[in-house]
Amino acid sequence: MSDRILCKFFVHGSCLKGENCEYSHDCKDPANNVCTFYQKGICLYGSRCRYEHSRTSLPQSLSPSNVPLPSDSQPQSLSAAYNSLLTPSLNHLQQKGDDNNDGEKYYIDPRDYPICSFAAAGDCPRGSQCPHMHGDVCSTCGKKCLHPFRPEEREEHTKECEKKQKQMEALKKSQEIECSVCLDRVLSKATPGERKFGLLTECDHPFCIQCIRNWRSSAPVSGMDVNSTLRACPICRKLSYFVVPSVVWYSTPEDKKEIIDVYKAKLRSIDCKHFNFGNGNCPFGGSCFYKHAYSDGHLEEVVLRHLGSQGETLIADTLRLSEFLGGLQM
Amino acid sequence: MIDFSRVQKELQDCDKDKDASGIRVCPKSDSLTRLTGTIPGPIGTPYEGGTFQIDITIPDGYPFEPPKMQFSTKVWHPNISSQSGAICLDVLKDQWSPALTLKTALVSIQALLSAPEPKDPQDAVVAEQYMKNYQVFVSTARYWTETFAKNSSLDEKVKRLVEMGFGDAQVRTALESSGGDENVALEKLCSG
Repeated sequence: MSDRILCKFFVHGSCLKGENCEYSHDCKDPANNVCTFYQKGICLYGSRCRYEHSRTSLPQSLSPSNVPLPSDSQPQSLSAAYNSLLTPSLNHLQQKGDDNNDGEKYYIDPRDYPICSFAAAGDCPRGSQCPHMHGDVCSTCGKKCLHPFRPEEREEHTKECEKKQKQMEALKKSQEIECSVCLDRVLSKATPGERKFGLLTECDHPFCIQCIRNWRSSAPVSGMDVNSTLRACPICRKLSYFVVPSVVWYSTPEDKKEIIDVYKAKLRSIDCKHFNFGNGNCPFGGSCFYKHAYSDGHLEEVVLRHLGSQGETLIADTLRLSEFLGGLQM
Repeated sequence: MIDFSRVQKELQDCDKDKDASGIRVCPKSDSLTRLTGTIPGPIGTPYEGGTFQIDITIPDGYPFEPPKMQFSTKVWHPNISSQSGAICLDVLKDQWSPALTLKTALVSIQALLSAPEPKDPQDAVVAEQYMKNYQVFVSTARYWTETFAKNSSLDEKVKRLVEMGFGDAQVRTALESSGGDENVALEKLCSG
């Protein structure tokens, strides 16, 4: 009984096989904590997996007593320390393998060895006593999460981390920015839906999305020209044809362009409700931001504009075949 | 819905530099929908030395609609009605923008006092006089300023009221709460 592995369903009190279960129903027996996906070589969690990534059914992790540990303070000497770590652990693993009558010989690639997930998350309580390898320190987030032997993972993490850092800084700067209409800080508004900027394409004056949309949609007073007042920036009166919502305020023109491009790309993936898969009629025609696709998936071809005899642009009216045929005398 | 928090912020903001600008805005009651603005007459104009009071009503759509403003002090000016005090100013009508504030609107009115537009008049009589007989216009405007926009100084008012038999401190608080209006202060003092 004692060499059997603890049934994981029994642990949760939900094993339906009862006494016929091939796994042990004795809590004293060891649980199988080896990642089965890792055995097949396809564990997607990598170093973040909560199951053990070792090639055999290892009941325990390496014990600290017989393994020399890499020093935390010298990440650059990690690979040297790792080599000394590897030799005794290999012997150790091999012995275990013999115990289980599993004589398979294997070789651990240093890339396969996981790094300590506690250290990678910020702080390992065991410090230098930790039996697991601690990763190199990421200069951006300050966590020991860079695997010394997985260069692609390191590069990916560094990129991701720098991107996050940039976003955080932008968000921090945005906190201070006030809307010129309600005079409140945009990101300190009462409800989360209000905490958004409304970017005008032609100038760089900040407003909250609600305020600028309210202004643009307010009823024009008599004598008021919609283009020169309502669609203009309330501060500089520059005309902007549309407003782009954004949760952060930009600091460079490139950032602004990126925000606008991302917004437009998002709208282009949404089907236009006016076009309605070819059944409706969109008043915005070819300049609509939304997707104009027919129900079979092909996109509308826009050839609505052509040059007139005087060289001016003509916009063709929407012609329907039924109208054309109906007008023919046959 | 009036954005009262914005009105409140504007009042605080205006209060901060009232000594530098000379422009004041105070609520008439607790509701913040009716306010009184005060602007000094611009130097170098017939309005110099006067203090002009403007009635402000905040509409429901504020700040997306312009505040309604009209002079409660009588003024002789081509763009201001000599009868009703109505103001003809584009930023209070079709050129309003929600980025403008009560203070900036009052600054615009102050600028209107120094630069009349007789070609787009509110008061035709005044505009005609301005164009045909500028000297008479200047003297009339100055006379109106002297008569209606120059309150006697606070000490003079206090002195007059004290002579009626009220206590000095009592008179000062009454004048302060009535915005310097001698008659209102007198009513307050009489009613207790």
